[in-house]
Amino acid sequence: MPKLTVNGKGVEVPAGTNLIEAARTVGVEVPHYCYHPGLSIAGQCRLCMVDIEKTPRPSIACNTVAADGMVVQTETERVRETRKSMMEFHLINHPLDCPVCDQAGECWLQIYYMKHGLYDPRMKDEKVHKPKAVPLGPHVILDAERCILCSRCVRFCDEITHTGELGIFERGDHSEIGLFPGRELDNKYSANVVDICPVGALTDRDFRFQVRVWYLDTAKSICPGCARGCNIEVHVNRRRPHHAEGRRVARLKPRFNAEVNKWWLCDAGRYGFGFVDAAERLLMPARRQGGTSTEATWDEAIAAVAGALRRLTPDQMGIIASPKMSNEDLFALRRLIDLCGVRHVAGQVPPRVPGDEDDFLIRADKNPNSRGAELLGLGGDARTVIEAAGRRRLKLLWIFGHDLLASALPEPDVLEALRVVDTVVFTGSNANWTSAHSHWVLPAAAWVEREGTYTSFEGRVQRFRQAIEPLGQSLAEWEIVTRILAPLGEAPSATRAEHWFRQLAASVPAFAGLSYQLIGDSGRPLAEAART
Amino acid sequence: MSHGQPSTSNRASAVRAGLSDPATTISFSEAQLGEVRRLQSLYPDARGALLPVLHMAQETFGYISLEAEEYVATLFDLSPAHVHEVVTFYTLYFRERPGRHVVAVCHNLSCHLAGAPGIIAHLKDKLGIDPGATTEDGRVTFLTVECLCACEAAPMAQVDDRYELNLTPEKIDRLLEGLR
Ligand code: SF4
Ligand code: FES
Repeated sequence: MPKLTVNGKGVEVPAGTNLIEAARTVGVEVPHYCYHPGLSIAGQCRLCMVDIEKTPRPSIACNTVAADGMVVQTETERVRETRKSMMEFHLINHPLDCPVCDQAGECWLQIYYMKHGLYDPRMKDEKVHKPKAVPLGPHVILDAERCILCSRCVRFCDEITHTGELGIFERGDHSEIGLFPGRELDNKYSANVVDICPVGALTDRDFRFQVRVWYLDTAKSICPGCARGCNIEVHVNRRRPHHAEGRRVARLKPRFNAEVNKWWLCDAGRYGFGFVDAAERLLMPARRQGGTSTEATWDEAIAAVAGALRRLTPDQMGIIASPKMSNEDLFALRRLIDLCGVRHVAGQVPPRVPGDEDDFLIRADKNPNSRGAELLGLGGDARTVIEAAGRRRLKLLWIFGHDLLASALPEPDVLEALRVVDTVVFTGSNANWTSAHSHWVLPAAAWVEREGTYTSFEGRVQRFRQAIEPLGQSLAEWEIVTRILAPLGEAPSATRAEHWFRQLAASVPAFAGLSYQLIGDSGRPLAEAART
Repeated sequence: MSHGQPSTSNRASAVRAGLSDPATTISFSEAQLGEVRRLQSLYPDARGALLPVLHMAQETFGYISLEAEEYVATLFDLSPAHVHEVVTFYTLYFRERPGRHVVAVCHNLSCHLAGAPGIIAHLKDKLGIDPGATTEDGRVTFLTVECLCACEAAPMAQVDDRYELNLTPEKIDRLLEGLR
């Protein structure tokens, strides 16, 4: 392991580490544009210059491997001058249109100009003009004048998605990023180029012009889009709600996790949050009688469901849980199932169209917590429960989230089951055909409106935090279940999801030893024995 | 550059004359494909052969159309965007069908000082087009280019694959006479 010094601080790094990363380990930030730890090295932007003792000229830190005895200086007069000149080059043809640029506030041209530029512009000639506001595909839009030709986006498409859509065309100051004529940037991970573009050249068509980034609040979360459990940040617009027309979630961004998704996120996950602020959200408990639906209070709804659970025999009750529920929700529900002895229990509803999968992040299982559901015995196929209902065994059927009428379950069987069961209860965040056929609807908070944990297909338990308030009167599923447990004689003191997690960790061996604190921001694997 | 090859010229003139576009099928012969493989084997990374193969494409198809770029991309297992990068970077690849002759006048320093602006103005006048364009009848493509390494005989131009040195307006007139 080479030992070197950076700005006088000694540091030892693994062989092969470049000087940007070596400096980072002692808290020294070397400004750079083209270097990205997830991509190959291009050495294109020349901003990362540092002085190395016994080297006649400044060298680029991104493409210099740390060597034993190296003496690196990142803030010499010469380095600062070089940086300033490089900033001037990068901005020669830049339109300086920050007031109308969506990147403002998270733009590395702005940040580095203030830190390392601050020169008086000397450019007198007309700037070179290039294409503006060009949609590259469904999610990404290009302003070629703002591009600094770092080639990160090109390398992403070459090295990560292997789709090669982007290139740098023409030459000299006419060079510009673009697509082969007639093609689109439409791979399944296309929007990652927006994240890695250090400037305002590539922006997000969905997010653009919604809200200035400095008005955003963020919460650490997990993508609920599939079993991978990519780590994300939820960006919400709480401070400028009047600009958002009722839309609270402004965007999702990938959050680095070396073990799960690295820097990346698929487009389906990134844009999969539309349901949170959709018109179909269920806001109030409701009861349907003779074809008409009326609002009810939580007290009435809880009393009705608890009453049925108390009255009926185990064989008369069926529950279809959901692998979209958190570990806490499922554990609370498990407690209720055991308490009442509910006999007909399942969790998986086969999808009508099988999910797509690839060898990168996307998993065919579009549920974030199938593994957790399995470990809690709630992973069974819903077919068995529907069959029991069809045989007129069930008097109560409680369905969590699923739209049974949009699944691979035979529609006549489902319709028959919903028709013959006396009390059909639906708990979910959004209305669907199944909720429309239910006698009681208990509105659930969306994942960004509450906290909890999911267990990924690899057996990693990961926390998601609350970003916004639950809409209407909706509640987290664990909270609904907790309220129903009380009249059944079990009065758990759970006022937070964490209470249920503690009990889960204490009673299910796979989760033994885990706690919210331990799971932290980057997740923890299940106990050894439970990993597959 | 492929000028002077009769087959290319005839096809070009047919197109200009409004006859049916010969709709060249973009593919190399077996022999050419063998040559592609030979060129690719000369480089540690087969991609190194992209330039000569693009020249082959230009000679075969008259110019490098987008279809030709896509075809060449398949021979290299590259995305067409990366072939497009190379074609747009270099000036010696024609992205549109050139005229039967190409007149490329140097407008770099030595030639400029020795009177290139007058030569260029004269050509504009004679041909009735600006640099970068092709005459209506498809006879001449007129270009200005950077230094061609013949400063000692400035001002100069490359006409098809010959250098024409120490140019004067009279010499230009004679040269144009000879371009049919
Ligand atoms: S568009 Fe952005 S990421 Fe791509 S080369 Fe330009 S500045 Fe870099
Ligand atoms: S980061 Fe080193 S040259 Fe761009």
